[in-house]
Amino acid sequence: MAIKRLFIANRGEIALRIVRAAQALNIETVLAVSDPDRDSAAARLADRKIVIGPASAAKSYLAPRLIVHAAKESGCDGLHPGYGFLSERAILPTLCQAHGIAFVGPEPDVIDALGDKLRARAMAGAAGVPLVPGSDCVASAADARREGDRIGYPVLLKASAGGGGRGMVIANNADEAEAGFHRASAEAVAAFGDGTLFMERFVPEARHVEVQLMGDGKGNVLHFGERDCSVQRRYQKLVEEAPCAAMPDHLRKQLHESAVALAASVNYRNAGTCEFLFDVKRQEFYFIEVNARIQVEHPVSEMISGFDLVQEQIRVAGGADLSVTQDQVKLSGHAIECRINAEDVTRDFLPSPGRITRWQPPEGDGIRLDSHMAQGAMIPPFYDSMVGKLIVHGSDRADAIKRLSAALDEFVVEGVPTTIDLHREIVAHPDFIENRIHTRWLEQVLLPERAKRAA
Amino acid sequence: MNDNTMDRAITDVRALLDTFISSDWQELHVVSGEIEIFIARAGGGANPMRLGTAVGDTELPAAPATGAETSVMAQHVATLVHVLPVGTDLKAGDTVATIRVLDTEEAIPAPVAGRIMSLSADVGALVEYGMPILSIAQAA
Repeated sequence: MAIKRLFIANRGEIALRIVRAAQALNIETVLAVSDPDRDSAAARLADRKIVIGPASAAKSYLAPRLIVHAAKESGCDGLHPGYGFLSERAILPTLCQAHGIAFVGPEPDVIDALGDKLRARAMAGAAGVPLVPGSDCVASAADARREGDRIGYPVLLKASAGGGGRGMVIANNADEAEAGFHRASAEAVAAFGDGTLFMERFVPEARHVEVQLMGDGKGNVLHFGERDCSVQRRYQKLVEEAPCAAMPDHLRKQLHESAVALAASVNYRNAGTCEFLFDVKRQEFYFIEVNARIQVEHPVSEMISGFDLVQEQIRVAGGADLSVTQDQVKLSGHAIECRINAEDVTRDFLPSPGRITRWQPPEGDGIRLDSHMAQGAMIPPFYDSMVGKLIVHGSDRADAIKRLSAALDEFVVEGVPTTIDLHREIVAHPDFIENRIHTRWLEQVLLPERAKRAA
Repeated sequence: MNDNTMDRAITDVRALLDTFISSDWQELHVVSGEIEIFIARAGGGANPMRLGTAVGDTELPAAPATGAETSVMAQHVATLVHVLPVGTDLKAGDTVATIRVLDTEEAIPAPVAGRIMSLSADVGALVEYGMPILSIAQAA
């Protein structure tokens, strides 16, 4: 049954985005807020807000029983978890199910299965999705040499019992694999009392590529193309683009098919993302994980497809069939998104909450801003520091970069330090313009260059 | 917490972080009014706010006194199931109201001894965090 009143269990820009999507579908909205979020942009726009708890996320946005109670008592028949917080915790859909509320997301058992790395990897393998080449247990230096030759160098020797980088060695050739075996094994014995190792191909310059999926829970799964999210710092994405301009068409097709096959194999329902590591040198991609939620960077896929993914999520959760077929999904142009955070880049990206004293966002053709901020708005210190996402769409990557660069130049935010300056530098960097980036590029190239200039 | 308090808290936190970063301290723990702050470097001590109850979040049950009247407020969203009538005399700790979240009921104890003067929420209604449920005139 189509959802009539939607409960939104999130905050910030995504709460506002969901309220707007629901309103476009003529669905009433009830927003859960914590005490300091009472006056947020989403709270003002929603039909009703319910203050569920204090500032602490553990007692508000991370309290599934309070959320489902408020949803039920306010007469909601649907619940959207957004991203982060409880969006990928099976407890939320489990409670929703028990109280007759449609959850905008996958079934609880699918969330659990995909959230477990080993199970997800096994499911991907079973669906024919490529996995990082690796070995079973490696018992001797001779084994390490043989397996290394088979996998292809460089390889990573890892302790089976390991974690935290201990007992981990990179080997660039067979001799290093042999020597590395002795070192890693000894380290593993010392650290974990177990010298068992396994080996995995190491990709020093990988790109992060992911496929946007939408499933109806009946085995039908669509994709909305891929995104390239290789500009990262400590595994946090800063810039996302669609499509991945560095990927040739034949590989792109395989990538989409792999992601769809995996999602279809679990009768995936709702929006999801299948993440891959793209080895540009070898022209191969390997499965990383599936994120069973709408993602921060979904707008770039919307910009190239002209399709509203959040509205579709809500419709599908209400039992509707997918509103388009794969043939009707037409991708055009190139989109880039910058996540703008209230962080002090010069001080190791220190989160800098506070009041925005000036807010002058860029406007124009092909520019979209997903933000809950405005002049005078408060960034509370209790949650993440994202103030918005600037998204541009151009006819191709070069055109998108041109528009993005102009938009970033126009964007004025005062009162708190932001990452806008850093984004200007990223977008103007020759490596970015010529698309020679990888997941460690920001940390290995741009940030050190920046530090050197500052010194 | 109102906006002004938050503005001040953020300014204070900034100043504390500046001081902390330029120091060789391993951890810092400050309690001031309704604000409690703990900062530690990687490998620093355990967060004392996690051990007990965090200030700020648990301010409400202690309830601000208005003259000799104490207001009892909801600590989280819930449905009011039962409340004692106006005029009831209480000892501190007596159950004055019962609330429910999904199928679980929770008793709300009187924070002070006294007499129930007024009720602010109806039985069966959804009470939100920070909403007053009843007020108690404190016994002399």
